Amino acid sequence: MLDAFISGAHQVFAFDTLIYMLIGSIAGIVAAAIPGFTVTMAIILTLPLTFAMDPLQGVSVMLSVYVGGYTGGLISAALLGIPGTPSSVATTFDAYPMARGGEPGRALSLGVWSSFFGTVISTIVLIVAAPPLALLAVKLGPWEYFSLIVFALTIVASLVGNSLMRGLIAGVIGLGLATIGPDPMMGRPRLTFDSDLLMPGLPFLVVLIGIFAISQLMSEVEDHGKGKGSDALIPDVIEFKTWAVMREVLMRPVNLVRSSLIGVFIGALPGAGGSIANLLAYDQAKRGSKKPEEFGKGTPDGVIASEAGNSATAGGGLIPMIALGIPGSAVDAILMAALMVHGISVGPRLIMDNADLAYGMFVAMVVASLMMLVVCVLSMRLFLRVTDIPKQFIVPTVMICCVIGAFALNNRVTDLYLLGAIGLVGYGLKSLDYPLAPLVLGVILGPIAETNLRRALMSDADWTVFFTRPISAVLLAAALLSVIFSVRSVLKMRKKDRPATDEQDGD
Amino acid sequence: MFRKIAVAAGLMAAAIAGPAQAQDYPEKPIEFIVPWGPGGGSDTLMRIVAQGLADETGKAVPVINMPGVGGNVGLAEFAKRPADGYTVSQIHEGLLISNGTGITDLNWDSFMPIALVTSSPQYLTLSKNDNFSNFEEMVAYAKENPGAVRAGVTLAGVPHLHMAMIEDAFDIEFSYVGYEGTGQRIRALVGGNIDVAIGDVSSAGQFVENGDLVFAAVGMPERTEEAPDVPTFGELGHDLDLAVTRGVVLPKGTPQEIADALEAHLEKVMQREDVRSKVTNVGSAPMFLGQEEYKTYLGKLSDTVNRLVGKLEG
Repeated sequence: MLDAFISGAHQVFAFDTLIYMLIGSIAGIVAAAIPGFTVTMAIILTLPLTFAMDPLQGVSVMLSVYVGGYTGGLISAALLGIPGTPSSVATTFDAYPMARGGEPGRALSLGVWSSFFGTVISTIVLIVAAPPLALLAVKLGPWEYFSLIVFALTIVASLVGNSLMRGLIAGVIGLGLATIGPDPMMGRPRLTFDSDLLMPGLPFLVVLIGIFAISQLMSEVEDHGKGKGSDALIPDVIEFKTWAVMREVLMRPVNLVRSSLIGVFIGALPGAGGSIANLLAYDQAKRGSKKPEEFGKGTPDGVIASEAGNSATAGGGLIPMIALGIPGSAVDAILMAALMVHGISVGPRLIMDNADLAYGMFVAMVVASLMMLVVCVLSMRLFLRVTDIPKQFIVPTVMICCVIGAFALNNRVTDLYLLGAIGLVGYGLKSLDYPLAPLVLGVILGPIAETNLRRALMSDADWTVFFTRPISAVLLAAALLSVIFSVRSVLKMRKKDRPATDEQDGD
Repeated sequence: MFRKIAVAAGLMAAAIAGPAQAQDYPEKPIEFIVPWGPGGGSDTLMRIVAQGLADETGKAVPVINMPGVGGNVGLAEFAKRPADGYTVSQIHEGLLISNGTGITDLNWDSFMPIALVTSSPQYLTLSKNDNFSNFEEMVAYAKENPGAVRAGVTLAGVPHLHMAMIEDAFDIEFSYVGYEGTGQRIRALVGGNIDVAIGDVSSAGQFVENGDLVFAAVGMPERTEEAPDVPTFGELGHDLDLAVTRGVVLPKGTPQEIADALEAHLEKVMQREDVRSKVTNVGSAPMFLGQEEYKTYLGKLSDTVNRLVGKLEG
């Protein structure tokens, strides 16, 4: 094992590999920072370049894009209030208020350090426990997946903002939107009214960009000219306190480790991924906190939970891939394809047959997270320059990026009309003080819940299986407890009879 | 390192040879619409072919993924593109099934089939379970307990067709559970959530080697090199051809000279060593059937689909 480790490390620490990785890291961060551009896109562009590299070198470069990508989303989330990638939705909740509150540097530093530690923790779990965790993940059937999603749906309660009712309505709208298009089992069209526009359904990323980015940009335009100095999005007080912030993150070990483990676990479940992990970690941090009322107003805990949670899915996603050759997400599938093109079969024997490669990938993960850290710390000042640019330039630029990103996703022009329509809906809902996060959560979770419910009932028509399979039963019980907990805290809030202020909304 | 030099040399050679060719096609980059998402079998294979075509012609061949509705969104868009040879796309068995089950009006003859380029042999794969451990036992068990064997398939997709062909030939009955993609099915098979599935060497080979799964039969006329111990369906009683074949198509109405030129280029691409080894590495077999042979193949396949389509609509 040590031999393989050293041999892998030896290949990763080659000079040209490190240079390529650095470029990959920067590319990942930049791609993810631009709203509408995704990590998957960046990685698919890297794929043909790696054909000419050695297998480990190619994969190391892709891993650095991957790790960088899970961090880059933070930048636009904190500075513009727009999640740069689906995995940074929860980052907007606290990083953006914090940045708006005059501490943009602190918000970025917090996110970067949390991402770094999240990646490192997930890599440690990956090295230590990949095979048993992967075997556990593979045993989970549709029953467990469905129950997990039921549990995940209960976190809507943490995202509702001022009104439980409006939050739930937003969640239901999301679930409803997700049913448009081909049904996930048979591919039969539903609610498409025979129109080409709706035939492919509403792609999740288009909904995300429309709901968060377009509505946020419209609000920026609306706010324009209100008082002096509002031309720039953020006041130009730049304080990074890089090392102080590192201590700040490390002083919250419970939150950091819990959020990272949630990320690892969700990442290891094929098909779930980073877009759920950040919200779940945020929800758990809020519930575990002594001061849940500070969430959504710029508490460091919120930033840490979201960023550690989403970055940890990177290591988590590699668990089933390295241990069993089963990709956890589209990105992992592309990584696998890159290895296979070189004639390396990826499967349960990878660690045995190609030990130096597997260990090399572990080393590459650590190196990639270090590079991400260095690149971010050095370039944060540069990113903050973005906020010096007057709104009349930045709003249209970001809007264009969103449109390009939405198009590049599936190369469909009809997606752009959908983007416009969804943007208007999002803006309308936001103006009416509906929280947007539950809607997005509904769009993410709805299809997974439906697919697994139908799959479970096709495997066994008996409903009681959901309660007799132990893990499924535990997850359903957790969902029930979660609802009871939420109802209690809502009642408590009512008792205090405090008029709800802008406690937390989806922007 | 050697490979890098080889690739660079190939690129240079192609760049020099390109303009000197007698035929004018291609004069500019060719867009390759892959009607599936990144990371899947079609995407990986077509990226290899596209790269080969770019090396061969000296013109860029950018791959554009247009996923949605089982490949039909991309193909619908492709059908509207100018028939000038500068947009190509790819089809496989799935299109014929989508047409048969009424999901799309497009069929293989809505396009100009140019060349079949890859063929991935498919294996009937069994999970580790108490009831059967090889093909004969599985058939015997399924005959005694109709519907007790859970088969993981993409509903109304290629694996569904393959399973229906097995049901039809051996007179047995499965109960179907819907999964998306080979990776998901193999995962469910390893986890014991289903009993049988269609798999291939790249996704299931190592599990078989490890003893977690069993390849019961291969849907090829002869045993394969990768798994020489696995019997063919023919040896087990009924000839069945279960392969996923991928071919390049042009929009209908493309001038015949351009179709011929593309065919000739693709024939050379599929002879390139680098392309052949990459295609083999990702678990498929490089092949070449020109326009006429490919059309014959698709016509025959179409008959099978139409015969079994009733089974797929359930």
